[in-house]
Amino acid sequence: MRELIGLIPLIPLLSSATLMLFAGHLSRFAIGLLGVGSVGIAAILTAKMGIDFLGNPEVFKVTLWTWMQVGTFSSDVAFYFDGLTLVMMSVITGVGFLIHLFSTEFMEEDVSYARYFAYLNMFVAAMLILVMADNLLLLYLGWEGVGVCSYLLVGFWYQNSANGYAARKAFIVTRIGDTLMALGLFLLFTELGTLDIQALGDAAKDKWQVGDSMPLIACLLILGGAVGKSAQLPLHTWLPDAMAGPTPVSALIHAATMVTAGVYLIARTHELYLFAPIAMIAVALVGLATSLMAAFTALTQHDIKRILAYSTISQIGYMFLALGVGAWTAGIFHLMTHAFFKALLFLGSGAIIHCLHHEHNIFKMGGLRTRMPVTFWSFMIGSAALAALPMTSGFFSKDQILLQAYQVDGIGPWLWFGGLVGALLTAVYSFRLVFVVFFGQVNTEPDKDTGWRMVIPLSLLCILAMMGGWIIIPVTQVFPLAVFEHPAHWVEYVSIAVPIVGVIIAYLIFLGGQLKVDVFTNSFVMQKLQQFWFSGWRIDWLYDQLLVRPYYGLARALKLEPVDNFYRLVVTISQTFNQWLSAGQSGQMRRYITSMVFGLIVLLAILVRAS
Amino acid sequence: MNGSQMQALMPILMLSLTAIVLMIQASIKRDEKATWIITVVGILLALWGAGYARDFSQPVTILLQVDNWGLFFTALVLLASLVTVVLSQDSFSSEGGSKEEYYLLLVLSALGAVILIQSSHMASLLLGMELMGVALYAMIAFPKKGLLPLEAAVKYLVLSGCASAILLFGFALLYAATGELSYKGIGEKAALAYISNPLLVMAGTAMVTAGIAFKLSLVPFHMWTPDVYQGAPTPVTGFLATVSKGAVFVALARIYMDAELHQYESLILALSVLAAFSMLIGNLLALLQEDIKRLLAYSSIAHFGYLLIVLIALTGSEMASEAVTFYLAAYILTTLGAFTVIARVSREDQQKSQISEFEGLFWRNKIQATALTIAMLSFAGIPLTAGFMAKFFVINVAIQGSHWFLLSALVIGSAIGIYYYLRIIFSMSKTSGNDIGFRDRSGDITALLLTVLILMLGSWPQPFIAFAGGL
Repeated sequence: MRELIGLIPLIPLLSSATLMLFAGHLSRFAIGLLGVGSVGIAAILTAKMGIDFLGNPEVFKVTLWTWMQVGTFSSDVAFYFDGLTLVMMSVITGVGFLIHLFSTEFMEEDVSYARYFAYLNMFVAAMLILVMADNLLLLYLGWEGVGVCSYLLVGFWYQNSANGYAARKAFIVTRIGDTLMALGLFLLFTELGTLDIQALGDAAKDKWQVGDSMPLIACLLILGGAVGKSAQLPLHTWLPDAMAGPTPVSALIHAATMVTAGVYLIARTHELYLFAPIAMIAVALVGLATSLMAAFTALTQHDIKRILAYSTISQIGYMFLALGVGAWTAGIFHLMTHAFFKALLFLGSGAIIHCLHHEHNIFKMGGLRTRMPVTFWSFMIGSAALAALPMTSGFFSKDQILLQAYQVDGIGPWLWFGGLVGALLTAVYSFRLVFVVFFGQVNTEPDKDTGWRMVIPLSLLCILAMMGGWIIIPVTQVFPLAVFEHPAHWVEYVSIAVPIVGVIIAYLIFLGGQLKVDVFTNSFVMQKLQQFWFSGWRIDWLYDQLLVRPYYGLARALKLEPVDNFYRLVVTISQTFNQWLSAGQSGQMRRYITSMVFGLIVLLAILVRAS
Repeated sequence: MNGSQMQALMPILMLSLTAIVLMIQASIKRDEKATWIITVVGILLALWGAGYARDFSQPVTILLQVDNWGLFFTALVLLASLVTVVLSQDSFSSEGGSKEEYYLLLVLSALGAVILIQSSHMASLLLGMELMGVALYAMIAFPKKGLLPLEAAVKYLVLSGCASAILLFGFALLYAATGELSYKGIGEKAALAYISNPLLVMAGTAMVTAGIAFKLSLVPFHMWTPDVYQGAPTPVTGFLATVSKGAVFVALARIYMDAELHQYESLILALSVLAAFSMLIGNLLALLQEDIKRLLAYSSIAHFGYLLIVLIALTGSEMASEAVTFYLAAYILTTLGAFTVIARVSREDQQKSQISEFEGLFWRNKIQATALTIAMLSFAGIPLTAGFMAKFFVINVAIQGSHWFLLSALVIGSAIGIYYYLRIIFSMSKTSGNDIGFRDRSGDITALLLTVLILMLGSWPQPFIAFAGGL
């Protein structure tokens, strides 16, 4: 059975290849069957492996073949399977399967149906390779693979040039992180002599002391890669624009799986981070800052997908915060629950967009509660989980993060407080979305109903979003045991109360209307502040000024090929001399004799001068 | 003069004999075919003589010096003459329709070149140079068509006369200073004379240099070159470029070495100036030239600039004498290769030496086009051709002597050179019109042989280097 682990990424990959090569010969039904079925089989195999693992929790490694060997360096195509791998694989294949199923209805009328599933299957394969890889090089292969798939899917509707721009932006910005990560890999290899993830941990124990500068640099470089892929400050700008892709893609790639790859990477290499406390603090601070920044921004957006995108950035910030404070298990737990409820929310928004003529603006929706009940309940459950209301899955994971953050020496309470502010904002913006979209008067009538291929994934995800918190993830072997001292009870009570307060505030402002904030929001300062938040804290503008424009300027300057001017100058000089000299060859003998006499005089001058 | 000395003069005797036989034959019955055969046989005999004389190397009177080096160039010059005779057979016709006298003049000119190569005395130098030159004036003016040959001949005559006058004046000054006219004699006395009367020695040297620089068409004594190259019948141009210039350069090298002129810093400076200007101006003038004969005229100016570097670096390098031998041999073979093709393509028609006339040559006559391509590549100094090895030698010698200034001029000049050499190759590979094929295969064998020689010198030079080193 263990040897069959290789099939799990292989099946979606083969399906993808088949769809690319034989798209023209397949019926729509066959395409859908292939696209969804391949991921389904992968999910079944994963489930089987998971059941085996839970019965006999034994970590194993399957080496398929030697990928490359150069001198002392060798890299295998090998898969490593432990509790962390299982969690990730379950999310990818399980949630992935539901999203594939949803896609068959969402993309029903698209001309490039086969291309869509080819990309999506390829993404699943690459993502599986990423999480199953035994060494960082193979992981990097998957890492780049998902990057390419993300690029292809963001720009899926390439006829619109804005989508192409968003795709390029997503690719280039993450590329910056990827480059940092590659540097990190080089550094690790030169320092520790291996890229094998387990061997790295052992080598680090031999060679490094806690607090050395080398692990700090390596971990910061890896953090760079994680920040790029997981859309954290300062490389988060690509994710809101990546919403240009089809909505199920946003659910799968830009909410549930790929964007959490950075979290997985840091969790996977946590043994290295333990040698670099400063890098851990950096992870926590990046996470918290991103979480707050994105939450404020989400508060002012009116595009349903952009709200969710900023919410994703914010939630991944929580995961980073968890990793940074050493709450590895909580971080991965939140990754999983987030995958459930955010996929649910994205698919729900997909259903709305599908039924509302591709409308994205929440203020043009409203009153959908009675018209789209399944979607309404999906959103209710998803938003409750997102806001971390008690008993939802999000509550369990976020509560753990906040409590563990509180316990960090020194800055712990501050981290906790920051997290609480974020949690409050999360509750406000998520229920603002629910109240605006589903209550109040109807602004746009839905023109079709959600079919069973949408309803089933939504329902299943609803269950997961509600009940996911009760799952105990089998990662005790992977991460060191957290020394968990239960903090004072009031801390816990406050943590639980804050999201509820947020929901009430949202209700009072957006639905009940008891809280009149118009005067406040219409004031000059608040207007400016709202604009500032709406623009994503002007970070895009900043990058545009600092990087994009100078780069364009440089490119424009180089387009004129300034270096060629030097060669053109050479040509011009040569031609000019040629013309001057040729003019001298007049054919007149007296000139020729003059030249000879001149030459003789020069020779005489040179020779006689010395004597 | 004993028997051994007569044997040493075998090539000169053979050429003289051929000249006499040709005169007698012409007086009995005019027959171009017979004249041609006698000329070819005579030159072949002279070639044999050059080999034969190797066993009798010695000074012959005060005037001539027979040695292996000289005999090698004698053979080379005779080979060039032979190629010229073969090319002349049907490339142009004279006023009367036949050209028996032309072959006589060619033999006399070759004789002058051989004497020039073997001279060890100012008198024999002048004798050889004038014999070669006077015959050449007539050869240039020989064709009946057009005014250009005549114009070229007159220009060459007048300017060459001026140059000879300067040269003679130089001899006179040197004689006044040293009382000697043989190279070695001047070399022995010059040092002393320089102390007592530096002005005379230096002025004399300057004028001798100027006279020879004219014949080698070094800048600024180069102005005649394109006009004469263009105006002369193509085989004669080839003869002028190879036999005349090669022989004069050998004579210059002999004077330079035997008269020990390399000890004068100011002369080296003067030669450096001539070399640098020749390399740069020669190549620049050739850059946009549309007439291939004029283009090669300018190119030859540059090539003698390169050769002059070797002379300048003579004392600083062990390779220098080999470098002179190799470069001159490569230059003569390459030039012959080029002019063989040009003579075939352009015949006597002046219009046909335009580069545009060579368009599509590859599709009309592959052998000729390949030969010209190889010749151009060799001129440019592309590896696997003789020109590359030759340039390699020159650069090597220049580096050993630390002549960085001249080296940079060489590099710049060569870079410009590649442009116009490649231009000709491009033009040949164009497919445009001009398909009026010439199916005449008469020059193919000569072209092929020369191409093989050029490639051999470039790709497998070791035997030749060993041979040149032993001279």
